[in-house]
Amino acid sequence: MSGERLRIALTKGRLQDQSVELFQAMGLDCTPIQNPGRRLIHSVPNYPLDAVLAKAPDVITYVEHGVCSLGIVGKDTILEQGRSFYEVLDLGFGKCRFALAVKEGADFYGTYKTRRIATKYPNVARTFFEGKGMDVSIIKIEGSVELAPILDLADAIVDIVETGATLKANGLTPIEDVAQVSARLIVNIAGMKLHKEAIDDFISRCERELERRS
Amino acid sequence: MAYTINTPEGTRDRLFAECRERRQVQSALTGLFQRRGYAEVSTPEVEFYDLFLRSGNPMPQESMLKIIDRSGKIMVMRPDCTTPIARVAATKLKALPLPQRLYYDQTVFRSGQAHTGGSSEIAQCGVELLGAAGRKADLEMVALAVDALRACGVERFHIELGHAGFFRDLAGRVDMPSQVIERMRALIEGKNFAALNDLLEPYAGQGACKALRRLSRLFGGAEVLDEAEALAGGSAVLVYLRQLYGELCRAGYGEHLRFDLGMVHQIDYYTGVVFRGYVEGAGDAVLSGGRYDKLVEAFGRPAPATGFAVDVDAVAGCLPGWEPPQLEGLVHFGPGALAQALAAVDGQAPGTWELSPCDTLEETLALAREKGAREVLMLEDGTERREAL
Repeated sequence: MSGERLRIALTKGRLQDQSVELFQAMGLDCTPIQNPGRRLIHSVPNYPLDAVLAKAPDVITYVEHGVCSLGIVGKDTILEQGRSFYEVLDLGFGKCRFALAVKEGADFYGTYKTRRIATKYPNVARTFFEGKGMDVSIIKIEGSVELAPILDLADAIVDIVETGATLKANGLTPIEDVAQVSARLIVNIAGMKLHKEAIDDFISRCERELERRS
Repeated sequence: MAYTINTPEGTRDRLFAECRERRQVQSALTGLFQRRGYAEVSTPEVEFYDLFLRSGNPMPQESMLKIIDRSGKIMVMRPDCTTPIARVAATKLKALPLPQRLYYDQTVFRSGQAHTGGSSEIAQCGVELLGAAGRKADLEMVALAVDALRACGVERFHIELGHAGFFRDLAGRVDMPSQVIERMRALIEGKNFAALNDLLEPYAGQGACKALRRLSRLFGGAEVLDEAEALAGGSAVLVYLRQLYGELCRAGYGEHLRFDLGMVHQIDYYTGVVFRGYVEGAGDAVLSGGRYDKLVEAFGRPAPATGFAVDVDAVAGCLPGWEPPQLEGLVHFGPGALAQALAAVDGQAPGTWELSPCDTLEETLALAREKGAREVLMLEDGTERREAL
């Protein structure tokens, strides 16, 4: 299947920069991705790869439908969106975690009342509490989730935590890890089978670089 | 009440080319199935929910479209074709000798996630070979799967073979709690290379572990079988797959066959060879099947079985587009000329000529111009005239 170009969807923002760093370390010339101009598809000149930039949930959509064979997206989005594709590699960057956080000093588990959980990730929160066999009522918040416990809208939040500084500044404290998050390489199911050689080559280049880094 | 003129999410109207392409795939498949001795069955669109619980086919309940009937029983819109056919085979077909070859051409219904572009109505054409175990039945089924995609006219496609027994043997050889086995199965199925490696790290000392760690990568050409053998040692399953492959290659099927030993979906349902078909242009498998020797027994009649289903619309979407024919002419006919007018239309290529419903010739000519036709044929008072536009 030589001569064919693979298409990869990259999550815009910080993951994009770190993906480009990874590609460069793999020997790919990423100048077109770094200087996108008005183009929407960016071709790597020295490797059969075209990149598109997208919001995280759209990366999953593009890969699931097969319009992109590959994608780089955070595990947070994968956990929230689900859907069907191969999640082949943990790329090791974009690391953070989902945590359950409460108001400092609050005893989250010490009551029989149904707890209210504010989150931007209702599916992640539901799966977590289902795993504990615990009934909670989940409230979807679009913006700063930390506000919900302060305003007494919720007893706790499930959110992405990097340093914990934002939580601390708002009088919240993480009490439990929900899931570890990092960037993942995902692959379309049919694409993996129909373009095996090309995709294998890309994956093993990634792996070699990841191995070098560790 | 504007929503009453829209269709519900997951459904859609299919017009002209879409119907034609769907019909083309259906007739290619059903024609092939009939030639191979399969007879058509059709089962109800609504069945009791309990039927699908009994089958042991792990379909999540949230993916079924449910209805509560007047007596309060839960019904579902047919979520899969094989389970009802197994019910038929164990009940209505009890008196008939096995094996039975059956095919179906019907819709299954799924309640999918919102706004993902998925369809909740899926047209499936498929076959079941009931009451036949062993190599020859598996050969027939895999060959039929390849021929099915060939018959549809798709060009680049693979049928991938796997075997439910390979994973089961390996998993049986490591000492591991059942939840970890299930987690491992999900990681192998999702080809989650890194997480699988991490999960198996604590079991690295055990013999089968090396093969399990590689399992999600064991897909591709026949070389996969060599690698699997090197990792797992002698295995009856690998010998069996090699035999099948050899026989299929001799019959000219080799170029379309691949392997994926990491195909470990529905591992409690499938009992032997499993396979999936991939076509250039479709994001997911368009054909899926395998051997399920326990299902018919769940309805009271032990019978080994194998079969597959083709997602008709997914295949149709990979075919070159079809353009509806251009209208060439209208037939304007007077009293007593109906038979002649119909003969004139019937004698032309489908869709190129139509009867004019107009009373006057002027109206017919205006209509012909509006529809872009090039000619009007006039059959009146025993005469035949043509007018070019």
